[in-house]
Amino acid sequence: MQLRYVFTELRTGLRRNLSMHLAVIVTLFVSLSLAGIGILLQQEAKIARSTLGDELKILVNLCTQDDPSNSPNCGSGEVTDEQKQRIEQEIEDNPEVRSFRYVSKLEGFDNARKSGQIPDSAISGPNPVVTVEQWPQGYWVTLKDPNEADGISSALVGLDGVSGIKDQRKALGQIFGIMKVLKYGSWIGSAFLIFAALLQVTNTIRLAALARRREIAIMRLVGASTLYIALPFLLEALVTAIVGVGLAAGALAAFQYWGVERGLAEHVQFLPWVDWGDYFQSLVGFLPGIPGIVILGPLLTLVPTLLLTRKYVKV
Amino acid sequence: MIRFEKVTKRYPGPGKPALDQVTLDIDKGEFVYLVGTSGSGKSTALRLVLRELRPTTGRVHVAGKEINRMAGWKVPRLRRQIGTVFQDFRLLPNKTVSENVAFAQQVIGKSRREIAKVVPETLELVGLKDKGDRMPDELSGGEQQRVAIARAFVNRPMILIADEPTGNLDPATSVGIMNLLGDINGTGTTVLMATHDHGIVDQFTKRVIELEHGRVVRDEASGSYGFQH
Ligand SMILES: Nc1ncnc2c1ncn2[C@@H]1O[C@H](COP(=O)(O)OP(=O)(O)O)[C@@H](O)[C@H]1O
Ligand SMILES: [Mg+2]
Repeated sequence: MQLRYVFTELRTGLRRNLSMHLAVIVTLFVSLSLAGIGILLQQEAKIARSTLGDELKILVNLCTQDDPSNSPNCGSGEVTDEQKQRIEQEIEDNPEVRSFRYVSKLEGFDNARKSGQIPDSAISGPNPVVTVEQWPQGYWVTLKDPNEADGISSALVGLDGVSGIKDQRKALGQIFGIMKVLKYGSWIGSAFLIFAALLQVTNTIRLAALARRREIAIMRLVGASTLYIALPFLLEALVTAIVGVGLAAGALAAFQYWGVERGLAEHVQFLPWVDWGDYFQSLVGFLPGIPGIVILGPLLTLVPTLLLTRKYVKV
Repeated sequence: MIRFEKVTKRYPGPGKPALDQVTLDIDKGEFVYLVGTSGSGKSTALRLVLRELRPTTGRVHVAGKEINRMAGWKVPRLRRQIGTVFQDFRLLPNKTVSENVAFAQQVIGKSRREIAKVVPETLELVGLKDKGDRMPDELSGGEQQRVAIARAFVNRPMILIADEPTGNLDPATSVGIMNLLGDINGTGTTVLMATHDHGIVDQFTKRVIELEHGRVVRDEASGSYGFQH
């Protein structure tokens, strides 16, 4: 096939309808970015759940010398070995508990430091604000059923030597909740914009077909194939899709770099975060069922173009 | 080459059919006038040959194929065997004369080399050898119609269909166009021309098929336009 005409038409078509094409590109760009963010959040929730979900633990902090909790359980200062035995016994006997593990002051301190709970400034210098000695010992208690922790909590909360119970499930639950809201927010916003993009694509094709109606009439008359007649339209749609997808991929990369790696991941370290592998997945799609933006973008412009050119260009 | 078998064409809506049980047979290499008053069904008949329309009932055969039953994707191939000329020329105003003619070849995938060879040949044939670089609006009506004929003939179709090709032209210019159509017919191309131009039909005597209210009322091997008009 001789494509010279097709490419000339593509160029004039893109130039002639520049503002329309730009509108499509911008709408597509924003809608695909939102869709991509939704996909990343979906993936984030999945990996967060898979690494944390079956480890849902509660942390039992034990009393220190000058316990900041002011809990009546800490009246005798630093937790004693007897108190610890009693607490371990209670944990061991509880039917909700699968297993538990002792966390030393040093381990707890290190974990807290790594996950950013203690700022570096508080432990450096000649007179650090926080020291290992001040850090509480504790137990990581792993539950049989992450939804059932009331029994163990109430059993431990009144025991001497227990300064407090840190229940991560609540924090995680909140985070998952926020993720869910953001994810559906992204998808709903994306859906509206996709609808707008479809209308714009439709209008663009209508105008382009109108602008080319003489050429199209002649092409049909002299026996050009339907595909050949439709090709400039399809290529125009493809070009806008490629630009829209490219911009959205860039925006998602920026989100991944500044939003996740340099943002969330630095502040919320106890969660595993989506990485560049997940980013690329958001471009090409997660199987099964969720198409990535590289697929979604062209789909959104090519399908209406195909349907409409069949109507306008029919032999 | 073109055969209608009891072809009836009704447009949507009430009223009489545009064509009513039309049967006609045109051989290869013939030159045929389709005459009749405005609204008698001439254009409808031509559009059926191009398969721009399908008959309501009856059959249309073109070049040995029953085109009313032809699959849609084969229609472009049919149309490549038919050149078409209209009263209003239908040139692309933003293309030069050469580009207008070349367009008909480009869009069906002819090679650049063939286009470079055939377009000037065809322009010479229609008498516009030196006007290839002009724009259509720089030409007279007769010249524009010659460009349209060049475009219709550039792919050397078996059939040339002309719907009132002299309708917008003065008599002297029309004679030139008729001579050109006669030359094209001389190369073996079947010509089917709808017209209600008495002077032309009487001057260039050919077979005449007359339509009246969508019916064939006369088919003369060598006719005049008809005394009743
Ligand atoms: N697209 C159409 N829709 C409805 N009626 C039409 C259409 N085209 C033609 N007609 C009617 O069909 C009849 C024949 O028209 P046409 O074939 O154009 O005649 P002619 O070319 O001889 O003037 C006329 O009555 C005309 O009004
Ligand atoms: Mg007519």
